[in-house]
Amino acid sequence: MNRVSRRSSRLVVIALLVLTSLVLSVVPAMSQDAHPLAGQSIEMSILGIGGWLPSSLGAQMANDLFVGYAQENYGYNVSFTFTESPFESLFQRAAASLQTGSDEFNIIISDSQWLGALATPGWIVDIDGLIENGLPDLGIDPQPSLDLELFSDVARTTYQVFPDGSDEIWGLPQEGDVQVLFVRTDIVNNPDEMAAFEAANGFAIPSTFEEWEVLTMDQFELIAGFFTRPDQDLYGVAMQHSIVYDFYSMQLYPFMWSLGGQAWDPATRTMVGVLDTPVNAEAMEWNRRMLNYTPPGALSMGIGENVDAFTQGKVATSIQWAAVGLSMVTDENRDVVAIVPPPQFVREDGTTSRVYSMGGQPWVLNAFNPADKMRVAVDFLNWWYLPETQLEFAIRGGNPTVAATLNDPTFDDINPWNRAYKYMLQNDRAQDFWHEPNYAEMLALQQEAFTAFAAGEYNDALSVLNFVACEQQQILFDNGRTEVAPPDECEDAEPQ
Amino acid sequence: MAQADLSSPARLQQAAVPAMTPLRRFLMRFNRLFDDARLLPVLLIAPVLIFFIVWNVIPTLWMIGLSFYRYQISIPDSLAFLGIDNYTDIIRDRAMWQGLSRTFIWVFFGVGIQTLLGMVLGFLFWGSKSMPGRRLALTLLFTPMIVTPVAAGLFFRLIYEPTFGILNWFTQSFFGQEVLLLQNPEVAFWAVLFVDIWMWTPFMILITLAALASVPKAEMEAAEIDRLSWFDRIRYIILPHGKYILMLGILLRTIDSFKTLDLVYLMAVPGSTTKLIAILLRESAFEALNVGWSSALAIILLLTAIAFTSIYLYILNLNSKAKAKEVAT
Amino acid sequence: MNRARGWRKTAYHVLLWVIALIFFAPILWIIMGAFKTTDGILAVPPQFVFVPTLDNFVDLFNRPNVLRYLGNSILMSSASVGIAIVVAFLAAYAFSRFKPRGTSFLMFMLLSIRMVPAVAVVIPVSLMYSALQWKDTYFGMIMIYAMFSIPFSVWILKGFVDGVSQRYDETALINGGSRWHIIFRVILPQVAPGLVAAFIFNLIFVWNEFLFSLILGGRDTTSIPVSFSTDLYSDGGVDWTFTASMATVYMIPPILSILFFQKYLLVGMTFGTVRGEV
Repeated sequence: MNRVSRRSSRLVVIALLVLTSLVLSVVPAMSQDAHPLAGQSIEMSILGIGGWLPSSLGAQMANDLFVGYAQENYGYNVSFTFTESPFESLFQRAAASLQTGSDEFNIIISDSQWLGALATPGWIVDIDGLIENGLPDLGIDPQPSLDLELFSDVARTTYQVFPDGSDEIWGLPQEGDVQVLFVRTDIVNNPDEMAAFEAANGFAIPSTFEEWEVLTMDQFELIAGFFTRPDQDLYGVAMQHSIVYDFYSMQLYPFMWSLGGQAWDPATRTMVGVLDTPVNAEAMEWNRRMLNYTPPGALSMGIGENVDAFTQGKVATSIQWAAVGLSMVTDENRDVVAIVPPPQFVREDGTTSRVYSMGGQPWVLNAFNPADKMRVAVDFLNWWYLPETQLEFAIRGGNPTVAATLNDPTFDDINPWNRAYKYMLQNDRAQDFWHEPNYAEMLALQQEAFTAFAAGEYNDALSVLNFVACEQQQILFDNGRTEVAPPDECEDAEPQ
Repeated sequence: MAQADLSSPARLQQAAVPAMTPLRRFLMRFNRLFDDARLLPVLLIAPVLIFFIVWNVIPTLWMIGLSFYRYQISIPDSLAFLGIDNYTDIIRDRAMWQGLSRTFIWVFFGVGIQTLLGMVLGFLFWGSKSMPGRRLALTLLFTPMIVTPVAAGLFFRLIYEPTFGILNWFTQSFFGQEVLLLQNPEVAFWAVLFVDIWMWTPFMILITLAALASVPKAEMEAAEIDRLSWFDRIRYIILPHGKYILMLGILLRTIDSFKTLDLVYLMAVPGSTTKLIAILLRESAFEALNVGWSSALAIILLLTAIAFTSIYLYILNLNSKAKAKEVAT
Repeated sequence: MNRARGWRKTAYHVLLWVIALIFFAPILWIIMGAFKTTDGILAVPPQFVFVPTLDNFVDLFNRPNVLRYLGNSILMSSASVGIAIVVAFLAAYAFSRFKPRGTSFLMFMLLSIRMVPAVAVVIPVSLMYSALQWKDTYFGMIMIYAMFSIPFSVWILKGFVDGVSQRYDETALINGGSRWHIIFRVILPQVAPGLVAAFIFNLIFVWNEFLFSLILGGRDTTSIPVSFSTDLYSDGGVDWTFTASMATVYMIPPILSILFFQKYLLVGMTFGTVRGEV
C-alpha cells in the first residue's frame, strides 16, 4: 500500500512538472494583452428606471451587443440582468442596497439629481479618479478613454458633476434628455383652423421648425387656448403638473429660468432670496394659468399620462421629454407629429430667453463591486462610448450626448425629435438643478407646496416660494451643506 | 440528565421492536418532553417568543435607540447623540400635527362608515341562507379586500380620471356634469377615503356575519316567539353576544387604518390634503433618509396606537366581566 | 299571500345580488381591462362590449421573470403563513390550557406587532438583516412575514381552543394519550375552521405586502406586488394592459380560496364562539 502511494505521488509530481512547463510555454504565446478575465463567466446586474425606454435600451444593448463584443475582444462570457424601479422609487431601492455595502447592482442608471446623494456616502465610484488613476486596489488601469467630449457643457454639468459648480465627476451620461414641443400638425396646421386663428389673433400658427423656434409663450398660450375645446374633448397642451417625483418642478422651472429667475445660488447654496423672488412668483402664476389649456385631470398628469393624452388625440400639443419620443410618435400619428423647440419667453427688458429643464440619466458604478465585476463594468462603459455603439443607441431610439455622434451629419435624421433635441441641448437653453445629497427631501417638500398652489390650496405664490426656500435652506444648513443659515423671518414663513 | 433517564428504556424498546428507527426514537423522546407539565407550556410558547423577540423586540429596541440619535443614512458620519431632541422637534412640527389630525379624521370616518355600512349589509345578508348562488355572491362581495393596493390605487386613479375615466363619463352622460375629484383639494381626501371604504367594508360585513352567527339560535327563536321588536332583538340579544367579535373587527380595522400608506401614496393627490401621518413618516424615512427622526416619530405613533388599543380592550374586558357576572348571578 | 312572500323573497335576493355586484364592479372593470387593448382601456366612451383578446396574458407570461415572481409570491406567502399557523397554534394551546402568568399581557404585546408603522420598522429590520446577511433570502422574507402573521393567528386560535372543552384533554390523558397526541389528534381537528380563517386572512396580507418586499427583498426574492410597482410603466406611460392582466391573474388564488373556504372563513371570524354552520 505504501509503495503504491509513493509511486502515485511521484506520478503527481511529474504530472505537475509537465503541466507547469506547458503553462509556462503557453503564457508568453498569449501575449501581455490577454484580458485577466479571459475564459471566465461573469454575471452582471444593472439597476435602471422602470418602464423608461432609454434605460431598458441600455440593458438590451448590453445583452444583444456587448456580450458578443466581450467574448470576441476580451475572451470572457458575460450576461446582464436588468432590474427596474420607477423614478419615484429607484433611489430608495438603490439606497437600501448600497447602504449595506452590497454589490447586488453593479451598474446603476441613476437620475441626474441623485449624484450627490449617491456620491456623498461613498456608494459610487469617483469617475475622475477612475480616469486619472484607475482603481489600483482592483488592478484597474487609468481610463483616459472615459474622459468624454460631450456635445455641450450642460450635459457635463447635468450628468457628471457633483458638487454643483465643481469639476468633480461621478457619472457618465447614459441618456441625454431635454424638453421639446410635440405638435399634432393635423389639428394645429389644419388650413381652416389656421385661417380662423390668424383672423382672430393677428398672427399665424407656426408650421415649420423655424417658425416654432421664434414663437413666444404668450403666443403659444393663445394657440393653446384656441384649441381648448372641452365640448370636443380637445385641449391645447399636455404638460406634467403631477406631484409624483419631480414632475411638477420640471415643468415649472422653465417658466422661472426663462423669465430670469433661479432655483438657487449654487456657489453659496443659498435658497432664501434667490428662489422666493417676484419674478419666480410671476412664473408660478403663469405656470398655473397653463392649467386652463390642459385636460381637466392635468394635476395628476405625469410623463405617462401626458403620453396617453397625446397619443389618444386629446391634446393639440405637448411639452414633453425627448426621451419618450418613441412612445409619443406611434404608427398612427407618425405623419402628423412635428417635434420642435418649446416656446421662448419675453423678459421684462424685452429680450427673449428659453431655458428649459434637463432630463436624462447618467451611468454610475457601484463602489462595492468586486474586482472582476468592476473590470467588466469599466469594459462595458468603454464599449458604450464607442462611436458605433452610440450610433446604434440613437438608431434604437436613445439620445446620446457625445459630441462626435451628435455632430455626425446623419444624426439629425435618425429620429424625428433629434433636431429639436440638439437644439435644446445647449448651455443657454437647458439646465439642471441641485444635485445635493438631500435632493429627495428637498424635492418632496417643494412638490407638495407647488402642487398645493396649483390645486388652489394656496394662492399667494411668493409666500409658497418663501416657505419652500426657508425649509430647503434649513435642510441644507442642518446637513452642513451651506454656511448660509435661514434668516429669522423664516420662523414665520407660511404658505398662503 | 433527562437524556440519561430516557435512554435506557429507549434502548430496551429498541431491542424489543426492531422497526425502531433513530427518527422514531427521537420523536418518542420529544413526546416525553411534551408530557412534562412544567416544561410543556414553555416549549409551546417558545417559538412564538423567539419570533417575537428576534423580529419585533430587537428591531423595536433598535428603533428606540435610533430615535435618540441624529442618523441620516445618506450623510457619512452623521451619527450623533441628540437626547430627546428628535421628540421635541416632532412635537413642535406643524406638519406632524396636521398629518396626525388628518389621520384621525381618516380613521374616524373610514372605520366609522365601514362599520356602519358593514353592519347594515351584514345584517341584510344574514337572512339569505336560501339565496341562489349565495356563496358566489359573498365571494364577489368580499373581493375588494383581497385586491393588491397598488392595482386598486392605479385603477381608481383611472376610474376617477376626468378625461379617460368611466366615472366622469357617467356623470357627463347622465348629469352633464364633469367631476374633478383627485385634482380638487376640497374633495380629494374623501375620494381617496371612498376607495378605502370600498376595500374594507367587506371586511366589516364578514365580521358582522360572524358576530351574528355567534348569537345562540335558541335565544333568537325565543325572541321570535316573544315577538320582540327588531330593535330590541338587536339591543338585548344580538349586541351582547356579538359585541366581542364586532369590537375586535373594529380594533383590527382601526390599527390598519391608522397606518394607511400604499393606497394614498399611489393616488398622488396634489398638495398636502391627503398627507396622512404614514406618508409623512415615509417621506422622512425614505426621502430624507432621516432615520433618527423617523424612528422617534414611529415610537410616538406606536405609543398612540397602544394607548388607543388599551382603551378598546379595557372596554371590551369590562363588558366581558360584566357579562360573566350576569351569567353567574 | 304565498305568492306575495315569494315575490318579496325574490326582490330581497335580487337586492343582495345587486349589492354584491356593486362591490365587485371596480374589480370587474379591472378584469375586463385585462381582455382589452390599451386603446380599449382608455377608450371614451368606455367599452362595455368588446372583442376580448388574450394577447395581454400571452405578453404577461412571455415577460421575463413573471413566473419566477409568481413562484416567489406563492412560496413566501404559503411558507410564512404555514409556519406562523403551526407556531401560533402551539402557543394558543398553551395560553388556553395552562394560562401561564402574563398571558393577557403577551397577547396584547403580540397585537402591538401590528401597530408599529411598517415604514418605520422596516429600517431597523433592514439594518439587522444586512448585518446578518438575511437580505434578499427566502429565509429572511419568510420569517418576517411569519412574524407578521403570528399575532392574528394566535388571537383567532386561542378563541377556538378555548371553545374546545377541557374534558377532551382529560379523557385523552386518562386513556394514556400523550400531550403531543392531544394537541395534534384531538384538538387540531376541532379548530380547523380557525386554522383556515387564520391562514386565509394572513395570506391576503402577505400576498399583497409591498414595502418589506421592496426594501428587504431583492433580485432573488422579488414578489408580484413589487413587480407591480416596478413594471407598471412602459416607455414612459402606465402599462395598463400589464397592470390589468397581472392584477387579474394575481387575484385568482385568493378569490378561489374565499370561494371554497368561505364557510371556514365565516366560522373563523367568530373567534371560536361558533363551530358549526354559519
